[in-house]
Amino acid sequence: MIQNDIAISVRDVQKSFKLFYDRGYSLKEALLFSKRRRYERHQVLKGISFDVKRGEAVALIGHNGCGKSTMLKLLTRIMYPDSGTVTMNGRVSSLIELGAGFHPDMSGRENIYTNAAIFGLSRKEIDNRIQKIIDFSEIEEFIDNPVRTYSSGMYMRLAFSVAINVDADILLIDEILAVGDVTFQRKCFNRLKEIKAKGTTIVIVSHSLSMIEQICDRSIWIHEGVIKEEGRPKQVHMDYCDYMIQKQQDKDTSASAKAAGADKPTETPKPAEAPKPAETPKPQPDNKKRWGNHNAEITSVTVSDEKNEVRRVFRTGSDIVIHFDYTRSGQVPDAVFGIGIFNRDGVQCYGTNTRIDDIPAFSLKENASVRVLLKNVSLLPGEYLVDIAIESGDGIPVDYYREACSFEMASSVNDVGISRIEHQWTI
Amino acid sequence: MTVFRELINYRQMIVSLVKKDLRGRYKGSVLGFLWTFINPLLQLAVYSIVFSTIMRVVDTDKYYLFLFVALIPWIFFSSSVSGGAGSILANKDMVTKIYFPREVLPIAYVTSCFVNMLFCFIVIFAVLIISGTGINPVALLYLPVVMITEYVLALGITMITSSVTVFFRDLEHILGIVMMAWMYLTPIMYTPDMVPEQFRTLFELNPMCSIIVAYRDILYYKQTPDMTSVLCSAAIGIIMLAAGFIIFGRLKKRFAESL
Repeated sequence: MIQNDIAISVRDVQKSFKLFYDRGYSLKEALLFSKRRRYERHQVLKGISFDVKRGEAVALIGHNGCGKSTMLKLLTRIMYPDSGTVTMNGRVSSLIELGAGFHPDMSGRENIYTNAAIFGLSRKEIDNRIQKIIDFSEIEEFIDNPVRTYSSGMYMRLAFSVAINVDADILLIDEILAVGDVTFQRKCFNRLKEIKAKGTTIVIVSHSLSMIEQICDRSIWIHEGVIKEEGRPKQVHMDYCDYMIQKQQDKDTSASAKAAGADKPTETPKPAEAPKPAETPKPQPDNKKRWGNHNAEITSVTVSDEKNEVRRVFRTGSDIVIHFDYTRSGQVPDAVFGIGIFNRDGVQCYGTNTRIDDIPAFSLKENASVRVLLKNVSLLPGEYLVDIAIESGDGIPVDYYREACSFEMASSVNDVGISRIEHQWTI
Repeated sequence: MTVFRELINYRQMIVSLVKKDLRGRYKGSVLGFLWTFINPLLQLAVYSIVFSTIMRVVDTDKYYLFLFVALIPWIFFSSSVSGGAGSILANKDMVTKIYFPREVLPIAYVTSCFVNMLFCFIVIFAVLIISGTGINPVALLYLPVVMITEYVLALGITMITSSVTVFFRDLEHILGIVMMAWMYLTPIMYTPDMVPEQFRTLFELNPMCSIIVAYRDILYYKQTPDMTSVLCSAAIGIIMLAAGFIIFGRLKKRFAESL
């Protein structure tokens, strides 16, 4: 029997697909050409088990084709496993395909009813929610126009509003927070946090690791149909990124890596194809705060004031110097240096790199040091962590050093926020 | 059993799909909702011209009425079964992307055909009154039973055809032929006693036979129908419906992969 505090229970789930060489869909073909219906069985999930507690937010990560989306489809019961069981306790809403069942000729309002009904809401329940849905979608004035007259952004906003206002016990999300403009995305994101705070169980499939880190309590890394690792998102993501870098290293890919070291490290490019044995020797740091191909390595990092006096605490508005040394052991063409400053909540306060700053790419010296002068740092009091990165021009991390150093800001002014903004009152 | 509980939870989805179907079908067309009536009326016109002036098969008063009260229920049945067969395929987007009890789709389709028939019955009653035939209120009490029987039978068969069509797409076309044959083997344009004696038993195995006869008894002859044969059809209908749910329940698990 399943315990009451378990919302989702997945037990030894296996799933395979038949890949037909020449799939026939007619009775005629089935009768006449039965030999042609040859297929290859492709095992996508090879025995996956996990539980999700009520109110927990879990992310499924992994490279393309690892089976995470299939897993999500099994959770929604769009598909069924070959063996094993999936048990869901509570009403399930999915943000997998938005706007399914919208009818272009019907008005936004009518479509809300249709679409919400697909999530299993009764008329009364929809009546209670309709104002909330319309408000959230921000298309009040067009709500009685046919949906075909909507822009695609409005369409998605409406669809998202319905799905997220279902008040499900379990919410399944597949890479969707790319709805609408930045403001609306932010709103969706906040709403998601609210929903989570209310105790809704959430399962997310996403490549946006930074988003996962902000919402999820746990990450499950699915690799080739099995769970490779699960645990705290940051930890799992670092291992995942490491693995991805390993895989990519020898490949002379022009993968659209996220350029700067200043970017969140977790935004590593999507994987390439076949896994490759990890033959490259890799200095194993004692924790998972560093990754890269280690053709060059950051050796020491210091934080000081503009007079090069090492300090830890700075006054808001003062200058800060970050200084680091590196040694190079392999080839690092077109190097880029980057820094990122994060607060204790993991929010990136600032990040930049030499490419963003239009400094032409350069070759690394054998041994050298780098100095970054940050002028008038107006960050508000608190502790800040600095990530430092060396990247090679095609976006391959050479040495990404997470939380390389930290400093504290102090101020006698009691203003709030992340950073001070110079301002003037006119009253 | 869980299927039925779920279907109750999703009743609003059925309602809104039916509405969507009824409204979507004719929205934006010039004649709008009138198409609901025009299609059967045209069929009626053609058949009654052919069979009452050219072929003169049945010697009866007001042949058009004789035909009309049988044709409308038949159109409900045949459009449910042949159109409903594609109901899963037509909603491919929904089936592959979100969860809901798949039974909703054929149920909604058959129900919307059923509602269409009810609208047509308004015309039937109007014609019955205008033509002077009139209505027998006592016989009319049997009408809902006959309608429900037909609905159950249509739904049972549609459940089977809609789920099998996912795997054998040409079933839809095959059904077109089957339904045509079925129409001519059902006493719609003629009376059952025109069937040669030796085939009579075989002929009456067709569950639609007693249903159509009952409609005609109630509306055209204004007499109470033979309920024993209607109940036999109801029994067949319930068996079909049970079989429909079982087959559908088996096949639905592979819908998403096969679409």
